Amino acid sequence: MDVVSVFIPCTVDLFLPHIGEATVSLLRRVGVKPIYHMGQTCCGQPAINAGYREQAKKAAKHFIQVFGDDEEVVSPSGSCVCMVKYHYPELLSEEPQWRNRAEELSLRIHELSQYLVDILKVEDLGASFGGKVAYHESCHILRGLGVSEQPKKLIRAVKGAQLVPLNAADACCGFGGEFANRYPDISESMVRDKAGDYLSSGADLLLLCEPGCLLNIGGFLSRNHPGKKVMHLASFLAHYQETGNNGQ
Amino acid sequence: MEVKTEQFSEVAKEELRKAYTFLKAGATFVRIRRETALSTFPDAAAAQAYGAIIRAEAIARLPELLEEFEKNALSNGAKMFWARDANEASQYIVRLAKERGIKYVTKGKSMVTEEIGLNEALEKNGVKTWETDLGEFIIQLLGVPPFHIVGPAMNIPVAKVRDLFMEKIDLKEPTSDPVQLGHAARIFLRDKFHRVDMGIAGVNMAVAETGTIVNVENEGNIRFNKSSPRTQISVMSLEKVVPTLEDALHLVRLLCRNCTGQKLSVYVSMDNGPKKSDEIDGPEELIIVIVDNGRSRIYQDTIAREAMRCIRCGACLNGCPVYRQIGGYAYGWVYSGPMGQVLNPLLLGLEKTQDLYRATTLCGSCKSICPAGIDHPSLFLHYRAKDVSGDAALRAKKTPMMERIFFRLWMWAVTRYRLWNWGVRFVRPFVNKEAHGGMLREVGGLFKGWFRSRDLPAMAKKTFHDRWIEAQKTEFRSQKSEATTEKI
Repeated sequence: MDVVSVFIPCTVDLFLPHIGEATVSLLRRVGVKPIYHMGQTCCGQPAINAGYREQAKKAAKHFIQVFGDDEEVVSPSGSCVCMVKYHYPELLSEEPQWRNRAEELSLRIHELSQYLVDILKVEDLGASFGGKVAYHESCHILRGLGVSEQPKKLIRAVKGAQLVPLNAADACCGFGGEFANRYPDISESMVRDKAGDYLSSGADLLLLCEPGCLLNIGGFLSRNHPGKKVMHLASFLAHYQETGNNGQ
Repeated sequence: MEVKTEQFSEVAKEELRKAYTFLKAGATFVRIRRETALSTFPDAAAAQAYGAIIRAEAIARLPELLEEFEKNALSNGAKMFWARDANEASQYIVRLAKERGIKYVTKGKSMVTEEIGLNEALEKNGVKTWETDLGEFIIQLLGVPPFHIVGPAMNIPVAKVRDLFMEKIDLKEPTSDPVQLGHAARIFLRDKFHRVDMGIAGVNMAVAETGTIVNVENEGNIRFNKSSPRTQISVMSLEKVVPTLEDALHLVRLLCRNCTGQKLSVYVSMDNGPKKSDEIDGPEELIIVIVDNGRSRIYQDTIAREAMRCIRCGACLNGCPVYRQIGGYAYGWVYSGPMGQVLNPLLLGLEKTQDLYRATTLCGSCKSICPAGIDHPSLFLHYRAKDVSGDAALRAKKTPMMERIFFRLWMWAVTRYRLWNWGVRFVRPFVNKEAHGGMLREVGGLFKGWFRSRDLPAMAKKTFHDRWIEAQKTEFRSQKSEATTEKI
């Protein structure tokens, strides 16, 4: 049986652990054995985004120590995968041994939908949902990793689900980490537009693959449009299982 | 031009109230035009990548290319002046005007002349300036800054232009027809061109190989500025130089497609020096003013110098989700949008421009659009890192003490998972104090910005770490009991 190491982002660990559980459940479903290293904490994005490179380096080295021996690492977060793939080698560029380990690891880490579709060649996760869904193209997933078709293939394989177009699907939702708190007026305007596009799409559910976007869009909907839901694709696929065995 | 970069947040707030719906509707239109134009390349991605390589080479070889440009421009009969800073550049041009008894100049659109405050310097010394690009003409009459680096007056409603022209340029019949308004401006400016003795324009590309100045435009006013007066002044910043004419032409193809979705602008003009003795048209003297204004200092930073690749196409503004919300005024200076966010901090210093490299979600649209291959998000992170180190060369101010302490604590927790888990358990009751129905609606202090319009899930009572441990225990227990059952 294939073994895959799961990297659970700090946002998921602290606020959205059910996404981690859904990820593990899906991997088991497709016959892969997920392992979870207790030593993992955070990829270091908050530090590098705030300019604290020395601290980010320490986080990167810790991450490489934890995950360095794994054959494959999978994560339900595109921004974290981008951090590891593209920022770690640059961050550690002055220490050749660490840089090499980072470059090596960058080949073995994947975002979840990318892993399922491109590596495992699986699209049907046995889910069914009788309704319309729309998909938000998160910035790091789309522009950072070039991942767009993979989540849509997973959605289209869901029995009964209809993927409807979302206006400005690839427009940024306004999260940007600290940006949402530091420039709330601009962020609010951006997330309001995103929510508006969701509402006018006619979709019953909005799906995405990025925990940050989920907190932002979900948080805005909770305050302003309580009936409208947004879900992480992993949670959606794990929850709406055909067999009626709803994973919580 | 007055620097208002430190008022970013207030101005952005004001601008958001205006709800620029035209920016959002326009963004889709502009995007389709750009993509359609780029699709006329056999391989659009390769064409963009090639442009990036040309600009990368130009910047890598900047010092030698500038010297080659000078040598060839001078042998074409042009004169050249190297201006160390804004003041030197504008005072030199004022002196040229006074020496020649110039009463007024006409100007083609040039961002660098706004950077050096040329119009103010000329007016102060009794030389009237007339902007001849229609958008620049409108904002000059209104006395407002540019809203967009390519379309400086795109936010001015037609009715306002009509009233302005009736007041200032003798428009007789009120009309909201943009063609008729353009015609009124044309008649007015024609008169200025008729008698102009000194024309000032910018430079899109300065070709090192041939000493050629290249300009692209849709209105023809730049050509007028260059060819009708006796004296042509072309003002350029250092980074405009490109190695060869072939390079320049490829960049022109990219510039026009990315800028306005045209395969080529209506006018493309190239100057190899002033009028030759056997030619009947052209200026008698062509003076090239090359402006440094801090760029050779920036050049020392091998990462930051990437910002100098910019060819001023403005496509990054059109694609930016933040610019689409707030428009150009909030950026507080000549250059707005993502290109202003990478350039202004270098020219004005990081301390004065803190918001410019932080008011971004790092969405990467700019980077994905840029024909010069600028990685804006990486540059923003570079500037933030320079802030943390208090870098003197980029005039950075160190970050606040509380923030530095926070990240030290964060680093300890991140590298020690037991401390991380303990920290979470410690912090959770304080954070979740105000939670209702599993959601937080208010956590005061540092996170006010988030909670104004958004909720947040309460911190989970059991983190993923906790749940994994529990699940392992349950599995172990059930494996044990299975083994026991089997025995029976």
